[in-house]
Amino acid sequence: MLKEKIEKHLLEVQKPSRYIGGEVGSIIKDASKIDVRFAFCFPDTYDIGMSHLGMKILYSLINERENYWCERCFAPSEDFEAVMRENDIPLYALESLDPIKDFDFIGFTMQYELSYTNVLNMLDLAGIPVFAAERGDTLTQIVCAGGPCVCNPEPLADFFDLFILGEGEEVNLELMELYLKMKRQGASKREFLVEAAHIEGIYVPSLYEFNYNEDGTIKNVSPLEEAPAVIRKRIIRDFDKAYYPDNFVVPFTEIVHDRASVEVLRGCIRGCRFCQAGFIYRPFREKNPDTVCRETKSLCENTGYDEVSLVSLSTSDHSRIDEMLSKLIDYTAAEKINLSLPSLRVDNFSESLLEKIKRVRKSGLTFAAEGGTQRLRDVINKNVSEEEIMNTCRIAFEGGYTAVKLYFMMGLPTETDEDIVGIADLAQRIVDLFYSIENRPKGKSVQVSISVATFVPKPFTPFQFEPQDTREMIEHKQQLLMDSIKTKKIKVSYHDPNVSMLEVILAKGDRRLCRAVYTAWRKGCKFDSWDEYFCFGKWMEAFEECGIDPAFYANRRFGYDEILPWDHLDYYISKDFFIRENKTAHGAVTTPNCRIKCSGCGVTVRTGGRCFE
Amino acid sequence: MNRVRAVFEKKGRAKYISHLDLNRCMLRIFRRSGLPIWYTEGFNPHPYYSFALALSLGYESCCEILDFNITDDNMPMDEIRDGLNRVMPEGMRIVSVQPQKLKITEIAKAEYSFSLAAGAPGTLLADVEKLLSSEEILIEKKTKRGFKTVDIKPDIELVKCEKTAGAVNIIMRLPAGTQTNYNPALFFDALKNSGSQPFYAEKICRTGILCKNNEIFS
Repeated sequence: MLKEKIEKHLLEVQKPSRYIGGEVGSIIKDASKIDVRFAFCFPDTYDIGMSHLGMKILYSLINERENYWCERCFAPSEDFEAVMRENDIPLYALESLDPIKDFDFIGFTMQYELSYTNVLNMLDLAGIPVFAAERGDTLTQIVCAGGPCVCNPEPLADFFDLFILGEGEEVNLELMELYLKMKRQGASKREFLVEAAHIEGIYVPSLYEFNYNEDGTIKNVSPLEEAPAVIRKRIIRDFDKAYYPDNFVVPFTEIVHDRASVEVLRGCIRGCRFCQAGFIYRPFREKNPDTVCRETKSLCENTGYDEVSLVSLSTSDHSRIDEMLSKLIDYTAAEKINLSLPSLRVDNFSESLLEKIKRVRKSGLTFAAEGGTQRLRDVINKNVSEEEIMNTCRIAFEGGYTAVKLYFMMGLPTETDEDIVGIADLAQRIVDLFYSIENRPKGKSVQVSISVATFVPKPFTPFQFEPQDTREMIEHKQQLLMDSIKTKKIKVSYHDPNVSMLEVILAKGDRRLCRAVYTAWRKGCKFDSWDEYFCFGKWMEAFEECGIDPAFYANRRFGYDEILPWDHLDYYISKDFFIRENKTAHGAVTTPNCRIKCSGCGVTVRTGGRCFE
Repeated sequence: MNRVRAVFEKKGRAKYISHLDLNRCMLRIFRRSGLPIWYTEGFNPHPYYSFALALSLGYESCCEILDFNITDDNMPMDEIRDGLNRVMPEGMRIVSVQPQKLKITEIAKAEYSFSLAAGAPGTLLADVEKLLSSEEILIEKKTKRGFKTVDIKPDIELVKCEKTAGAVNIIMRLPAGTQTNYNPALFFDALKNSGSQPFYAEKICRTGILCKNNEIFS
């Protein structure tokens, strides 16, 4: 029994309740009556992974099946990892405390590129060989992954048996059914993988061979064993009727998003050209306000949470947002529940909407302006005008807010010094606006916080072809921004450009990067998204040892006619559309949102339907 | 409004719930139960409740005290108990719910049982006996103003001490409440410093919360 071994050392580590399970809402089954066991792994610590909505949905969904058991597994913090390695405690799942190496599926959700090394570390802790080719041909221990990063899974291809593209609610169960069937038939792992490759949404990387040109670009990708040449992601067609859990696992220790969350819509109508989520989750689908209310109610009742958050890429784009909020607030106010609304857009942030938010809770306001000048905002298709930003800030200040946070990006395509100075100017005009308002909150100073990230071009966006600025260019722009700010009322924070560089390499990389990921992990890289662990030097060593030129991926423009590492994956959007949008961007011309005019991204052709009534 | 006092167990995996986390956990238990708990009437209404004593992380207990108010005066105590037990996490269970009788300040001591696992329990037993018969047991206690040397000898009440095959099992009463709180860990440290036999303290469980005259606090 692992439990005794774990308990022997649990009090030596920080926040031990993260490692022992037993939370309300966690699902315990009799292992002897289970046909398929699934370890849902999040490649980061409990506090972060437990906040992930996708895991909650798929966890409950799989556990609805009596003979399947889905359990949770997270990366241990450094202190507990040391205990595990010292005492031969293999990575285990939190429900049964059984080692995950004995599970049928070990499924990771890949939410950000900087968690890649954690996957290797977790596999290693579990006692599972990190390379898929070294795991043998017995049908068990299928290591798979889903989530946004698998839209270009090539830098992970050598570690996984299969990838699940798109939404998992249906395909996960189909995959497990096939597994059970073939397991009973005594099939080998290879036979299962060949068969699984024919399920829509399943990509088996070992069934595809990459050949390269002399200049390092991809020559061709050839499928083996009659695997489909193009792999299409899965979508849920009737989103309103999609499975949604009526209960969450309620953690004891505080986690990042410690509240009930209800998904209100999927996809995005906006088409911001830098935003991967805005494209890979298309088509746009809404949940009925009554469905949202029903799900909110049952989640709050079952979990005991006193806070609920509406989740989407852009909640205010819901066509019946006012009706939905009115109904929700009636319930939450009566039950003394806080309702939080992240992801509101500045252009349709109405006074009545603010009134509704104010009734619930007064926290800071955060807006994503992304670009400092109108020209640049047009390039990135962030269809937000300065007037709208100012108008929203005015409403906020008049409503009693004194702090505003603005998100920007640096290093966007076509960006000039003028655009950088524009960030400072815009922030200054917001400060000036505050003091020009008669009925502003009295006796208080205004605080405009600017958070500047380095632009990371991502696959499946119109900017997928773009190079990232070099570190020198970014450092120059950061200095320029600092020099342009004249008041302490404006606070600036940055992301480390080295981190953004690693992100772009892993996001746009091909299969040759697997070796580098492995080498970096062997050198000790893990928790790359944590400042205190990130070690750029080791990554650079790894790239060098593996003969990889980081600039080839980070700072090179990918050609329109070049075969991209993700071209054989179909996320419902056509490459022609991305090329067209890229050209439009360079002309600083905007594309209207999907509700105003269909931009022909390819979704309707592939779904055979229309996005809107 | 009915002021009630629950006695609850915190055992098994629940012993890893820290006191801070227990607060959050209790709030959610109340909300899940749907019982008519009295909410504070301030700017940010929340269920009103308080724990009599904090329990160290990793300790079990069969006698934790939780005070709260019920707005329905006619609700039977057993119904409150059952309502809470339906939504309790694994390892936590309400033993009883009764009207509050004594004031919290009446709490004077707590009883703990624990097991000191050792290679040579005979030697350890001798160590324990030697320590407990010494004139004073001085320990460094952390206070708000730094470290202070205190003599815990006069306050230790030994209830039971026996040797088994691989351990020495002890039941001990120590001061608890609003004034002085001694954790069994103080005794472990003193024993480690004075004795010769290494040991590992386990199965630590708070078995009673008592008044000065050894009456069970209720």
